Amino acid sequence: MNNAVIICDREAATALSHDLKNRVVGLLGTRGYRTETVELTRDDAAPCRGCLFCLTKHPGKCVSSDTVGDLMHRMYLEREETITIYLTTVLFGHPSSVIKNALDRGTGSHRLQVIIGYGEDIDAEEESTFVDVTAKHCGAADIVHPGMVREAMAFVTRSSDDNVSLCSVLQECL
Amino acid sequence: MTAPVKTVCLINGSLRGRKASSLSFLQDVSRRLPDALCRKMVITVRGHAKQVYSAETLAAMAQADVLVFVFPLYNYALPGALMALLEEFHRFVLEGNALSHDVKVYAVVNCAFPRPELTTGEAVRVMRNFCRRLSLNWRFAICIGTGPVVVVTKKVPFLDRTLKRALSAIAMDVGAGAGRTVSDFFVHPVIPERVIRRIREQYEKKGEMMVRRDRRRALQ
Repeated sequence: MNNAVIICDREAATALSHDLKNRVVGLLGTRGYRTETVELTRDDAAPCRGCLFCLTKHPGKCVSSDTVGDLMHRMYLEREETITIYLTTVLFGHPSSVIKNALDRGTGSHRLQVIIGYGEDIDAEEESTFVDVTAKHCGAADIVHPGMVREAMAFVTRSSDDNVSLCSVLQECL
Repeated sequence: MTAPVKTVCLINGSLRGRKASSLSFLQDVSRRLPDALCRKMVITVRGHAKQVYSAETLAAMAQADVLVFVFPLYNYALPGALMALLEEFHRFVLEGNALSHDVKVYAVVNCAFPRPELTTGEAVRVMRNFCRRLSLNWRFAICIGTGPVVVVTKKVPFLDRTLKRALSAIAMDVGAGAGRTVSDFFVHPVIPERVIRRIREQYEKKGEMMVRRDRRRALQ
């Protein structure tokens, strides 16, 4: 059975994000995924300190012990079998700090990472920035670590209608 | 007549403390801004999620004449710790606190990859979006490839003057009018890329060996 972890920012939850989460959970269920939702707060996601000990001294273990540290270690062992879906607000074309902390600390799957940004006033340039950042993590486009994340997808939603459309696109890839 | 004193807020986006290459670049910017003309303050991003920025800190940012963001590139974007500061600052402004719209904004982006023109673009776009949203005066960015190597070699004379030119450009632009346009600077390491790649591969090989060992242990 395939596993999926949905990682979202509890403090930034809105009606739009609830609708999105419910639709994504429903979609994953119909595609046969065993889904787990992790709702993070600021206390659960300390920022990455950039020590790189998770790559050199003790791979897969973060020096900060919190929910993201535990999740990172789990994903380190399961990253080929589990896909990750991040739900985040978009500010200035960037994920929220809580979700960015989770991304920076290596909670992502190497098989498929989906990052969905939500917000009612995201403009075109912010959407484009958000999508382009994610595209840089995908396959050969990732020049720093080519091919590490085999597939990375980004979506931006501003309404419930957008949620429906993006779920139908996502369905094709699951 | 003497030029008015400018308030310059230097923001250190790194959590690596004294080891940080970003801190070294921030000090380089600071050194080029004369104390007689600039009143400087440094804000370092918070390493713990529970720590919030005081209203005084956010007000100082909002009232500064110049904001210089110096940060390492994390996953082709801003570090989460710096993003938390931008979020709090944005909230602070939305709450109706006064903001100086004449503020000039600069970014010094320090990335681990030798070719910054390929990696830093989106982080600079985020900073531009930040300025556009808050009607701040975006000036330009200095994008540095393989920051730790540049830090080690920057004092060697005549090797590469791009970094020095770029840092001086910030100092000159702070005192100049806002009308002129300055392009972003890209600073490359003086050590050849293939040598840097070999060094990185050695680290990654060590990491991969440890990964394989851990997986074997997990399966047993």
